[in-house]
Amino acid sequence: MEAASVSHLEHDHHGPPEANKSSRVDPAMLGMLLFIISEIMVFGAFFTAYFFIRVVNTDSWPALGQEIPWAIAGINTLILISSSLTLHWALHSVKSGNRFAFKVGMLSTFLLGACFLFIQVNEYIHLGYSPTESAQGSIFYGLTGLHGAHVFIGLTLLLMVTVRAFRGHFSAEHHRGVEVPGIYWHFVDVMWVVVYATIYIL
Amino acid sequence: MSTTTLPPETNTAVAIARPQITVSNANPPRKGWTSWVTTTDHKKIGIMYMVFAFAFFIIGGVEALLMRIQLGVPENSFVDPQTYNGLLTMHGTTMVFLFVMPMMAGLANYMVPLMIGARDMAFPRLNALSFWLLTMGAAVFYGSLLFSPPEAGWTSYAPLSNLAYSPTGGIDAWIFLIHLTGIASILGAINFCATIINMRAPGMGWSRLPLFCWTILIQSVLVILAFPTIAAAVTLLLTDRHFGTNFFNPTAGGSPLLWQHLFWFFGHPEVYIMILPAFGIISEVLPVFARKPIFGYKAIVASAMAIAFLGLLVWAHHMFTTPTATVILAFFTIGSMLIAIPTGVKIFNWIATLWRGSIVTSAALHFACGFLLLFVIGGISGIMLAIFPIDWQLHDSYFVVAHFHYVLVAGAVNAIFAGIYYWFPKVTGRMMSESMGKLSFWMTFIGFNVTFLVQHSLGLSGMPRRIYEYASGNDWGTYNMISTLGSFLLAAGVILTAYNAVRSLRKGPLAGPDPWKANTLEWFTSSPPPPHNFDVVPRVRSVEPMKDIRRQVERASQPAASDHPSVSA
Repeated sequence: MEAASVSHLEHDHHGPPEANKSSRVDPAMLGMLLFIISEIMVFGAFFTAYFFIRVVNTDSWPALGQEIPWAIAGINTLILISSSLTLHWALHSVKSGNRFAFKVGMLSTFLLGACFLFIQVNEYIHLGYSPTESAQGSIFYGLTGLHGAHVFIGLTLLLMVTVRAFRGHFSAEHHRGVEVPGIYWHFVDVMWVVVYATIYIL
Repeated sequence: MSTTTLPPETNTAVAIARPQITVSNANPPRKGWTSWVTTTDHKKIGIMYMVFAFAFFIIGGVEALLMRIQLGVPENSFVDPQTYNGLLTMHGTTMVFLFVMPMMAGLANYMVPLMIGARDMAFPRLNALSFWLLTMGAAVFYGSLLFSPPEAGWTSYAPLSNLAYSPTGGIDAWIFLIHLTGIASILGAINFCATIINMRAPGMGWSRLPLFCWTILIQSVLVILAFPTIAAAVTLLLTDRHFGTNFFNPTAGGSPLLWQHLFWFFGHPEVYIMILPAFGIISEVLPVFARKPIFGYKAIVASAMAIAFLGLLVWAHHMFTTPTATVILAFFTIGSMLIAIPTGVKIFNWIATLWRGSIVTSAALHFACGFLLLFVIGGISGIMLAIFPIDWQLHDSYFVVAHFHYVLVAGAVNAIFAGIYYWFPKVTGRMMSESMGKLSFWMTFIGFNVTFLVQHSLGLSGMPRRIYEYASGNDWGTYNMISTLGSFLLAAGVILTAYNAVRSLRKGPLAGPDPWKANTLEWFTSSPPPPHNFDVVPRVRSVEPMKDIRRQVERASQPAASDHPSVSA
C-alpha cells in the first residue's frame, strides 16, 4: 500500500523540478533590504546637496532671517519613534498569536505615522518661507519632503497591512506580509532620526 | 527523487486520499502578441529587452552617422547647430540607457536563470514591470522629437540644463527617461541579486557560479548604489526647472558643481555597469572556444569586485578642470590608475585562457578577441586621461571621445556581439551564419578603428568635442573625413549582423541543445528552452557542469573511449 502511494506521488509530479533554495534568506525580505539600500543612496544624494550648500559653500544655516522649529519637530520625532515600537509590538503579537494586540498595534502604528505627517504638513504651513527663496530653504524642503514622501509610501503599506489584519489575514506561521513592510517602516523612522539630527540639531 | 520530497505524514502506512482537483475557468496559454505583452517568463522578457535594445542601437547609430556626415567636411551645413546638439544628446543617451544597459539586462534576463538552473527570476512580475518601465522611458524620451529634443548632452550639466538656457521640454523628457529607466534598472538589479543569491542549482556554491552571473551580480550591486544618486539629481534638476528651487543656482546659495558631483557619482560606476557584464560574456565565450577551462576563475571574480569597489571612488576624474585642491586631484588620479590593476589581471587571465587552447575560430571568438585587443587600447588611453595634468590638456577634446568609444563600442559592443553569436542558437534554436559573422566582425573591426583611431589625433590637435562645425585650413578636415568614412563601414558591419540574425531565424541550421559543447547549465536544456526551463536540474560539481555531464555520458556509453578534445565545427 505504501509502495502504491509512493508511485502515486511519483506520478503526481508534473512540470519542473522543485526550486532549489541556495540561501537561507527569504527572497521578499532580501529584495526589501536591497531596495532600502537604494533608498539610503537617494537620501545620500540629498544629504550631499545639504552638505554642499552648508559646508562647501559655507552658507549660513538656516538662511538669514529663517528659523527651523526644532522643538516641535523633536516631539514629532518622538511620535515617529513610538510608531516603530508599536509596530514591533504588533509583529511580536502576530507571531505569538495574539490577534487583538496585533490589530491594536497596527492601528496605532498607522495613526502615529499619520499624526507625524499631519504635524509636518502643519510645520510647512507655518514655516514662513518657501523653497524658492534660498538654497537653504530648497534643501530643507527637499530633505524633509523626500522623507515625508517616504512616510506616505510607508503609511500606504501599513494601511494595507492594517486592513488585512482586520480582515483576519496573517497568523503565527504566516506573517511575512507584516515583516517586509515593517522593515521599510523602521527604515523610514531611522532615516528620520538622521534627517532630524542633521537638519534641525546640527 | 520523489521519495526525498515526500511529506512526513505519507510515511505512515495509511494512504492518504488525494484531493480531487477540478479546474474551472482555466485560461488557455495566450498566443500572438498578447503572449508577449502579458508575459512574466524571463526568456520572453529577455528577448523583448534584446530586440528593444537592438532597435535603439540602430536608431542611435543613425544619429551618430548624421553627426559624422555633418563633421565630414569643414564648415558643413548638413544640419543646423540646434539639430546637431539634439542628435548628440539623443545619441549618447540612447546608447547608454536604451542600448547597452537594456541589452545587458536582456542577455542577463535570458541567461542568468538558465545558467544557475532556476525556473525563472525571483520576482517574475517585477521583472515584467522593469521592462515596461523601460519602454515607457524610451517613449517619453523619443516623444520629445515631436516637440523639441533635449540639447544639453547626455550629462545635462547645470546651468545649461536650467530653465534659462534650456527652456523647452526636451530636458524634462530626458529627466523622465532617467527616472523611468532608473527605477527599471534598480528593480531589475534587486531581482538579479535575489535570483542569484537564492535560486542557484543544488551544489552550485559561490565558487561554481558562472562568471557571467558573477558579473551581473556585481553590476547589480553597482546599479543599486549608483542609480539612486542620478534619480535624486534629476529630481533636484526638475524642481529647479519648474518649482523655483535653487539647488544648482549659484546666485541663491546653490552650486552647479553639485550637479557634476552627483552626476558623476552615478556616471562613473555607470561605465562599469555597462562593461562588467561584457567582462562576463568574454569570460564565458573564451573558455568554450579555447576548449580549455577559464584561467584564474577566482582572480577574475575578485578583480571584478575590486573594479566595482574602486569604480565607486573615482568619479571626480571627470571633473579635473573644475576648481579642486591638487591633493584631491592626486587622490582621484591614483584611484583611477589603481583600476588598471584588476583590469589587467582580467586581461592576462583571458590571454592565459586562450594560451595553448585548441582554438575554435568561431564568429563569437572573433568578437571576443577583438574586444581583448581594442579594450586594452581604450584602457591605456584611460590611464593617460586619469593623469590630471594630461587631462587638463585633453579634457573635452576628441581624445576623450576616442577613449570612451574604445571602451564602450570596442569593449561593450564587441562583447555584446560575441554574446549574440554565442547565445543565438540557445535563444532561437538555430545557428547564425558563421561566415557572415566573421565578415561582420572584420567590417566592424576595421570600420571601428578607422572611425575612432584618428579621433585620438583629432583631440591631440585640439578639436573640442560637441562642436557642430569647424573651420577649414588645418588637418581636422582630413581626419574627420577618414572618421566619417570609417563610421559607414562600421554601420555596414552592424547591419550585416542584424541581417544575419533575422535570416537565421528561419534559414539557420537547427542548433540542438549544445552546439558549442559549452560549459554552463543553459546548454543542458533544449534550444529554445521549454517554458519551465529544465525537466531535471543536475547537481553541480564544478564550474563546468556541462563538461562533467558530457564526460559522464561518454564514460557510460563507451568505457574505453579516448579522452580527446571534441572540436565542434
